Amino acid sequence: MVDKSQQWKAWIYLAPAIVLMLVFTVWPIFNTIMMAFKEGYNPMYELNPEFDGWTFGLQNFIDLFAHASAFTNALVNTLLLCVLTVPISTMLALLIAVALHSIKPLQKLLQTIFFLPYVTNSIAIGMVFSVMFNIVGDVGSPDANYGVINQIFGTMINWMNLGSTKVANYAVMVIYIVWNALPFKILVLLGGLQGVNKQYYDAAKVDGTSKTRVFWRITVPLVSPMIVYVLITGFIGGFKEYSSIVGIFGEDMGATGQQAHENMNTMVGVIYDALPSGQYGKASAAALVLFVIILIVTLINLKISKKSTHY
Amino acid sequence: MKVVLQDLTKIFPSRNKNGQEVVAVNKFSFEIPDGKLIGLLGPSGCGKSTTLYMICGLQQPSGGKIFFGEDDVTELSPENRGVGLVFQNYALYPHMTVKQNIMFPLENLKGDDRMTKTQMLERAYHVAKLVQIDDLMDRKPSELSGGQQQRVAIARALVKMPRVLLLDEPLSNLDARLRLQTREEIKRIQRETHITTVFVTHDQEEAMSISDMIVVMKLGVVQQIGKPQEVYDNPVNLFVAKFLGTPPINVFDGEVKGEKLYIGEQAVLDVKGAADQLVHVGIRPEGFIVDANGALECDLSNVEVMGRDVSIVSRHASSQNPVIRSIVDADNKLPEGATKVRFSLKPHKVFLFNKDSEERVYFEVK
Amino acid sequence: MEEKKIDQQVAPQVVEDIDSTIALGTTSLVDKTMDESAVMSERKIEKVKQRQRVAKIVGKIGVYVFLIAMALIVLFPFYWMIISSLKTKDEYYLTQPTFWPTQGLDFANYAQAFKVGNLGVTFANTVYVGIVSTALSLVITVLSAFALARLEFKGKNLLFAGMLATMMIPGELFTITNYKTVVDLGWTNTFTVLIVPFLVSVFYIYLLRQNFMQIPDELYYAAKVDGTSDLKYLWKVMIPIAMPSLISITILKMMGAWNSYVWPRLVASDDVHALITYKLRTTQWDTDPMYVDYPVQMAAVTLVSIPLFMVFIFLRKYIMKGVARSGIKG
Repeated sequence: MVDKSQQWKAWIYLAPAIVLMLVFTVWPIFNTIMMAFKEGYNPMYELNPEFDGWTFGLQNFIDLFAHASAFTNALVNTLLLCVLTVPISTMLALLIAVALHSIKPLQKLLQTIFFLPYVTNSIAIGMVFSVMFNIVGDVGSPDANYGVINQIFGTMINWMNLGSTKVANYAVMVIYIVWNALPFKILVLLGGLQGVNKQYYDAAKVDGTSKTRVFWRITVPLVSPMIVYVLITGFIGGFKEYSSIVGIFGEDMGATGQQAHENMNTMVGVIYDALPSGQYGKASAAALVLFVIILIVTLINLKISKKSTHY
Repeated sequence: MKVVLQDLTKIFPSRNKNGQEVVAVNKFSFEIPDGKLIGLLGPSGCGKSTTLYMICGLQQPSGGKIFFGEDDVTELSPENRGVGLVFQNYALYPHMTVKQNIMFPLENLKGDDRMTKTQMLERAYHVAKLVQIDDLMDRKPSELSGGQQQRVAIARALVKMPRVLLLDEPLSNLDARLRLQTREEIKRIQRETHITTVFVTHDQEEAMSISDMIVVMKLGVVQQIGKPQEVYDNPVNLFVAKFLGTPPINVFDGEVKGEKLYIGEQAVLDVKGAADQLVHVGIRPEGFIVDANGALECDLSNVEVMGRDVSIVSRHASSQNPVIRSIVDADNKLPEGATKVRFSLKPHKVFLFNKDSEERVYFEVK
Repeated sequence: MEEKKIDQQVAPQVVEDIDSTIALGTTSLVDKTMDESAVMSERKIEKVKQRQRVAKIVGKIGVYVFLIAMALIVLFPFYWMIISSLKTKDEYYLTQPTFWPTQGLDFANYAQAFKVGNLGVTFANTVYVGIVSTALSLVITVLSAFALARLEFKGKNLLFAGMLATMMIPGELFTITNYKTVVDLGWTNTFTVLIVPFLVSVFYIYLLRQNFMQIPDELYYAAKVDGTSDLKYLWKVMIPIAMPSLISITILKMMGAWNSYVWPRLVASDDVHALITYKLRTTQWDTDPMYVDYPVQMAAVTLVSIPLFMVFIFLRKYIMKGVARSGIKG
């Protein structure tokens, strides 16, 4: 039964959302896809309709993957960061969540501490991490201030300054991203653990199951829906990694002196860098590649999770 | 394996600062004979589950001791006690098949007890056969009916060959028909394995029907221990009398005066040996005899025919229950259109309890 | 895989065995339990008890050591941020970083940060954008969620499914065209451009709709019978019931404005409209380009972080609930 008056009322209530979505969501989907396939497109052409200098084609995509391009470098960076940070942070978050779940005194306090990084500004705290790893003074000179991390571990590693290695850069990024990703994952996994019927653990206890076996045979399978959830959101977030790199390395997206095809820039970074100079075609193509990757990874994740969490 | 409970006590600290601590179990002493099936019976919150969990080792007693045979197991953790526990909602691991569930406890065995895969499978199939689920071994728990899940849970508890088997409300999640069937099943399995078994229930019928002995509990205190029929025939206090039996016992306000029991104005029974006092009079439904000369006159409400028996529903001013339910042989015909019914009483079905203490007041039954 | 193989090999044979031993089976069960109980001598029990106690204590200590170590790692950057912001520039440039300011606390860094970063204006800008966009967004979200939860109209399911589908698409795909759109519209360097494109959040609409759906239909019909208008019903019944969600949305939306970097950088990078996070990263924190004044930079970082800490301290419950319930990824 559809009330006539409800028809137009509903559309009035929805009007603001629909109008805004048409302009800022629906139109961009079509337009961005179109721009990705326009060769030699320049926004200036639109001002002069007679000068119609573009054709449909794959040139934007080809350009993206051209030899030693900033995009391939960014693609590798993004994939590597994802592959490194998502499993590490998920495993660590799971361990912390399980540990938190098993204690009573201090549980609330520790839980609050672990949630703290969630409510922070990733650029601001990135700058703090940067300061912790940064070398002040001449790199290589014993008189330089090697930063607090080197101080704590008694090392003199050049993490992110001029002449630093890519491995060191990655290490800094991985540490920061994991630190940043923990609170959300801990919260979701802890929620999952709290939802598990305590009797499963009692049953395991009566059977004398060891702690490690309980973890792998009972805890992990029972919270597997949550694990899959944090993995999927983790991968999606990882593919869109950007502001954490800005936080650490600044807008140059890399250590001083690194070229665009060797810095720490990510796919999203490439897209945004292309916009102010009007390279819409290239940016659109990059965004489509990103979309396809995210789609594939999500589908794979869901497929695997369907197999492993079905009960 | 006999199980001995010695002054077993469990006190839960209060939840908030000013609250009272809760004595869940108070000085429970009992020797469970080897190879028997014991029912812990009582309303919710009576401490029966707490007792079970203490025997199991999942909860530590605040005081008292627990022995398995001669071994003091009070401080042992569950896995070192050799117990099998069947949870109320079975707690079957949802991600494992029936076979994996049953084999899980065996895979935990360490040291000398360690088993090969073949031995484990053999044992698992053995137990599965015992509880008759050997054709369901590759299913997941979600693909089983409630009764089948129950059997898997029992199989999982039995597979380690526990010294003591514990069941927490084993039938409460089953529908009425399955419940009847499963309780016979539990009795059979227990008979076949001879494992000392303790189960917890709030359903007196369930406890009475399968237990070798029942323990009736109330607010952490054991009220009475005995064979089901003994406890039914000889309740020590009003609580036990009320708790056992369906339909429930009829309770009247009464008084003992000069070795006679009065309900209202009428002297209804000779109670030799009972001192003068105000009493609760408990009369089992089967304790009534329809008798035109009976001393107890009630207002007839209706008669429910149940085949062999009839249930006479009547009212009396002194009755504590809204209606009196008596079960008599169907041969007892009441006159058409009768508004009153008179009963005489079977003395051994009448129990007196002191008005204040609610303890049993005994009298001589010829 | 291996497990399966073994099962198939063994199972039939085992079943056969059982058939022959089933009669004996019961007795063997009994024997075995008896044996085991006999083995449990007094001394063994003592040993087991001892082992149990040690294992328990060691386990507990291990768990706490792990958690506290992780907690310290989580907290350290915050500590470092605050003490660095209070060091003098000279102390900061010492060869050995000090774990506590030894040359006195230099609060002047904060004044300096405020001045150099023009933080007064940027704070005000950010708060303005945050409040306006949150308020408008709430109105749009509530109205849409109400229509989708409460009202019946043709194409509702299709519309809702379409909206949800857009959540699959990474925001960057929209950003490209949106950037072009706002440039074409001449909206760059205005507050409008910071507010309007992000007013609709399908996720919040979805969240609130789920919330509204849980309110029983009878309440709505009762209100209709009493002649209550839709908007009044929305205001008097649905909004109070959905309050926790609305608060969560408000907090997250405000935090979004506070933390937004990418979009402001693209479209509103002039001094008049700059938002706080963008300003934080792009300001040159010292007049001398050779020696970045890190203490001042850290003071600015602290200033930006303080409001977030306040939100955390006072509204933590709402955020944690919101995140835990719906998995909002901030």
